[in-house]
Amino acid sequence: MHLAVSLDIASAPGQAGLTFGEIAAFVRKTETARIDMVVISDSSPDGERSTSPFEATTLVAALATVTEKVGLVANASTIAHQPYNLARRFASLDIISHGRAGWSATMTQAPHEAANFSCPDGFSDDDFRRRAQEYIGIVQGLWRGWDADALLFDKSGGRFHDPEKMHLLDHKGEFFSVRGPLNVARSPQDTPVLALSGLSEADFDIAARTADVILFDERPAEESRARHDDFKRRVSACGRKPDAVKVLTDLSLTTDRINGLADRLEEAFHSKNCDGFNILMPAQPSVFDDFADRVLPDLRRRGLFREDYRGTTLRSHLGLTGGGDR
Amino acid sequence: MSAQMKLGAFLWATGHHIAAWRHPKAHARAGIDIDHYIQLARTAEAAKFDMIFCEDAAGLREANVDIASQTSRSIGFEPISLLSALAVHTNHIGLVSTASTSYNEPYGLARTFLSLDHLSGGRAGWNLVTSASQIEAANFGATGLKPHADRYERAREFAEVVTGLWQGKASGHDGQSFSVRDPLDLPRSPQGAPVMVQAGASDVGRDLAARTADVVFTAAQTFEEATAFYDDLKGRMAAYGREPDEIKIMPGVSPVVAETEAEAREKFEELQELIPDEVGVALLSSYLSISDLWRHPIDGPLPELPESEGMKSRQALVVEQSRRDGLSIRQIARHFAGARGHWRIVGTAAQVADELQARFEGGAADGFNVMPSYFPGELDAFATLVVPELQRRGLFRKAYEGTTLRDHLGLRRPS
Ligand SMILES: Cc1cc2nc3c(=O)[nH]c(=O)nc-3n(C[C@H](O)[C@H](O)[C@H](O)COP(=O)(O)O)c2cc1C
Repeated sequence: MHLAVSLDIASAPGQAGLTFGEIAAFVRKTETARIDMVVISDSSPDGERSTSPFEATTLVAALATVTEKVGLVANASTIAHQPYNLARRFASLDIISHGRAGWSATMTQAPHEAANFSCPDGFSDDDFRRRAQEYIGIVQGLWRGWDADALLFDKSGGRFHDPEKMHLLDHKGEFFSVRGPLNVARSPQDTPVLALSGLSEADFDIAARTADVILFDERPAEESRARHDDFKRRVSACGRKPDAVKVLTDLSLTTDRINGLADRLEEAFHSKNCDGFNILMPAQPSVFDDFADRVLPDLRRRGLFREDYRGTTLRSHLGLTGGGDR
Repeated sequence: MSAQMKLGAFLWATGHHIAAWRHPKAHARAGIDIDHYIQLARTAEAAKFDMIFCEDAAGLREANVDIASQTSRSIGFEPISLLSALAVHTNHIGLVSTASTSYNEPYGLARTFLSLDHLSGGRAGWNLVTSASQIEAANFGATGLKPHADRYERAREFAEVVTGLWQGKASGHDGQSFSVRDPLDLPRSPQGAPVMVQAGASDVGRDLAARTADVVFTAAQTFEEATAFYDDLKGRMAAYGREPDEIKIMPGVSPVVAETEAEAREKFEELQELIPDEVGVALLSSYLSISDLWRHPIDGPLPELPESEGMKSRQALVVEQSRRDGLSIRQIARHFAGARGHWRIVGTAAQVADELQARFEGGAADGFNVMPSYFPGELDAFATLVVPELQRRGLFRKAYEGTTLRDHLGLRRPS
């Protein structure tokens, strides 16, 4: 199974935010535990204001140079960035991290966020969805603007790159017009990983076509299975292999849930409710120690979780090839 | 004027010389090698530079794909992520990135730079640009590049909102270009607010700088141009209730330095030889905002130029220089390609230090933005040859006085 850890650095009001050292120590712990990826967000979905000193993408850039293996996924909203700028930021994070970066986008509009971005009324649900769909297409298209072998570095011949291997995007759509190409090289893992969350059923087809990872909320077993089946059917319908998208279900971790947790995870995994779990870290990240010490060894004994990373990129941890449809 | 000069290390791709990447000792893979940048940052910090500076454009530099493929400037790190990574591998040096007011929103930009400021313990700065290129404009909509005056009007409002957010202003903003409901949700900057840098040189650009900047970068070739700019900009500050020393003016300088003058000349010629004519001309024509410069005889003079909506000040500089020296298109293209209209000094450490000292003490600069021809070699050369010479003369610090970028620059913390 695949395991992600979500860390929302937006700490509770009145509480001091984690320092960079504390966050880095925590992320190294997840790396020691061979977790696939850490998903970092800097504002709670319910619009609670952060007291952390950090913004997620800048934090991930810094974390990338003090870790070696674990995937690093930053949450960034389609409201707060222009698609060209966001595509660049993540392409750059991917090169800084040697192919371990991912973009986590939510399909749910955060309350009032747009009001800080010169759009006081926000978007209707339908507009937000069509806009997000167009946005994701642009970002993934820009990520593929340079072929993997485009850079030549031919000093004596005077060719830095092969102009035939650089492609314009020339996107003209309802919300955006973006010519491209990106001015960042191709990702070491083809394209950064795209993780989508906050999906309603109306978003399933968009997600099936574009996402590498889906983060679903926790539901009763039956509902989870039905949702998982429905989603994977749509992935196949897009001409993608069902396991080209990993479905991870949220798992809130509290000390009192540790007992018997391995059993419950095995059960959910074996009944094909998901491809793995997204562990939601509470404000106190030390709860992860209990998980790493008491649950992971059990999962490993049962052959449910890897002993070690098999590759160096986030895609290799997740067992994914290149990103999205093309 | 400050007692000691300020120094910025201007990091750009494989180097500031257009043919830098072809030099045998240049690191051609700079744009995909984070360890290279960590090393450059450490070199600059060991030499006690005030700051590292990263330029930026949200798009390719060159529209002609064939020309672009002969330079190293089409790919590189996005600077805010780059500097965030460098923040945790350095302890003192300032980290300044360029970002555009035309293609960002003030709330997001203020938040991102403040995060960089926290990651670095108060060492961040923002170089405000309005972005003059059509190539960038085409990545952000179908309407093309906005007129110069409109870009600066937006920039003025943008700067006001960002400064307000950094100072913890609580009330909402509802203006011509932007509306912002909430204050920032990050704690106050460790240095009061990130440092504001600008490089605009047009009339409106200078006014905006006089009003809001802490540091101003500029391109000035001659001593006269440099003092004229210096006096003009500082003269504009009183109108905004500011003292002249609240802005540090740091012209760009592209030194080529070696143990002997002959060696320095040889090194420079070696670089010049690596510039293909078509690349030099294309670079010049993009800075002049005329697309058909290549149609004119390369050994003839520059043609008459239409007034540009792009870089008015840079254009004036190039035209003036070519007339003054009677240069052909090829000559000016080569000359310009080397330092892009910035000031170039080729010589020994003592010669470079003499020239910097003369401008610093002559009221033409508060410091310099050093633009090494290629990396890492020419940054190393400046750090090991020129910096010790400046230190011996008492013109540059031997140790950092404080911990924040404002400390290094001798700037007041904003209230
Ligand atoms: C040292 C220096 C660095 C600059 N860096 C950038 C940059 O990174 N991106 C950019 O779009 N413009 C950059 N510029 C251009 C200026 O922002 C400005 O547009 C130009 O000097 C013309 O001035 P004006 O816009 O007031 O006419 C730079 C200028 C200088 C002198």
